Amino acid sequence: MILEALQKVFRNSRLTLLAITVAVIVFLFAVWLPNLGLIKTILFDSSVSIGVKVNLPIQLIGSISTNFTLLSALYTIIIAILFGVYVAMLTYFLKRRIKEVGQGGVATGFLGIASGVLGVGCAACGSFLLTSLTLAGASGVLTLLPLGGSEFGIIGAVLLALAIHMTAKKIIDPLVCKVEA
Amino acid sequence: MEHNTEHETKTLATSSPALTNALTIPIAVVIAGVLIAGAVIYSGGKNDSSNTVNAPQQQQVAQQTGDLEKMTPITSSDHIRGNPDAPVKIVEYSDTECPFCKRFHTTMQEVMSEYGKDGKVAWVYRHFPLDQLHSKARKEAIALECANEQGGNDKFWSYADRLYEVTPANNGLDPAELPKIAQYVGLDTVKFNTCLGSAKYNKHIEDEVQNAQTTGGNGTPWSIVVGKDGKKYPLSGAQPLSAVKQLIDLASK
Repeated sequence: MILEALQKVFRNSRLTLLAITVAVIVFLFAVWLPNLGLIKTILFDSSVSIGVKVNLPIQLIGSISTNFTLLSALYTIIIAILFGVYVAMLTYFLKRRIKEVGQGGVATGFLGIASGVLGVGCAACGSFLLTSLTLAGASGVLTLLPLGGSEFGIIGAVLLALAIHMTAKKIIDPLVCKVEA
Repeated sequence: MEHNTEHETKTLATSSPALTNALTIPIAVVIAGVLIAGAVIYSGGKNDSSNTVNAPQQQQVAQQTGDLEKMTPITSSDHIRGNPDAPVKIVEYSDTECPFCKRFHTTMQEVMSEYGKDGKVAWVYRHFPLDQLHSKARKEAIALECANEQGGNDKFWSYADRLYEVTPANNGLDPAELPKIAQYVGLDTVKFNTCLGSAKYNKHIEDEVQNAQTTGGNGTPWSIVVGKDGKKYPLSGAQPLSAVKQLIDLASK
């Protein structure tokens, strides 16, 4: 069923491009997240050459292998791909049946992204998740998590997969009024 | 009439789940928005929170690095590897039990073997133990200070190199290893243990933790690259050698 829905969606080259673009943006956001301050500083500094402005962010992409664990790199890439696929599917669906949007699917997708962001942030020691939890006065929660916060990333990937499944189901469902038994 | 009543009953019966369904998206969007915005504002965007979109470019940069300017000045009491008068200084706030700090320590060793011998870069080490994640890191920071007390800058760095080499990270180092490392680098273990049991470096370490946070550090490793002209660049996380080199080249101009 999901394959059938994916074939329907990705037959459209614009939606394929949309999925790839979204996946790349999500991936870059995740990798650059700890250094958005540095990137902004360099981009807005007129004394910095164009070469450095382009090259430094490219070099920072390499942090996927140095600033992530194998697990967090894996689910970061998976979340980026799933999010791209999900946005393309949702766009396909919205174009056709705007009044019948699978609301449960949309909600699951958004929660998946939110959870994924927390998981991605935890890739560096303490960065995102720790800050959020400390603000909420619950930093001790981290010590109770066996994967030290990666749970959020895994949950995010699962929720996105679930949202894709729910949306695929809606895409495949024919537009007919069912006869009640 | 009877038909209409039946229709109304059905509508009423289905209105509750429909309402719940209709609220699902806004609630989910709000939760997602709050989580993402909160995390971005209080984490990555910390240095930029004071930005004004229409402000002049130079002022914008100054505001972005405003927190970095609160970095405690580098003095001879710092732990400095390389030329203390190097044009580029990398001030690293580190946690000995953080796996990314362990990785970044190796990166910095490579940086120093490339830039340090010519006196182009100095590496300044400061403590930033994250107690919530690594309860053993603060004691290890004290151990580093004790190594420095007994053997000066050389023993501090020897101890740091050995500590990062042997620790499995993530709070995995047995505290019994600390005197063994002291012995390995040639320190008097009796004196070392006495120092380790004292509280004399608690304030010093806490001051560095506070300074790391004041400058915008919210995770480890947190580094500030100080350029030739005094300009400061934030660098968060264990970034690859190529990125660090690029930043050094920029800071040395």
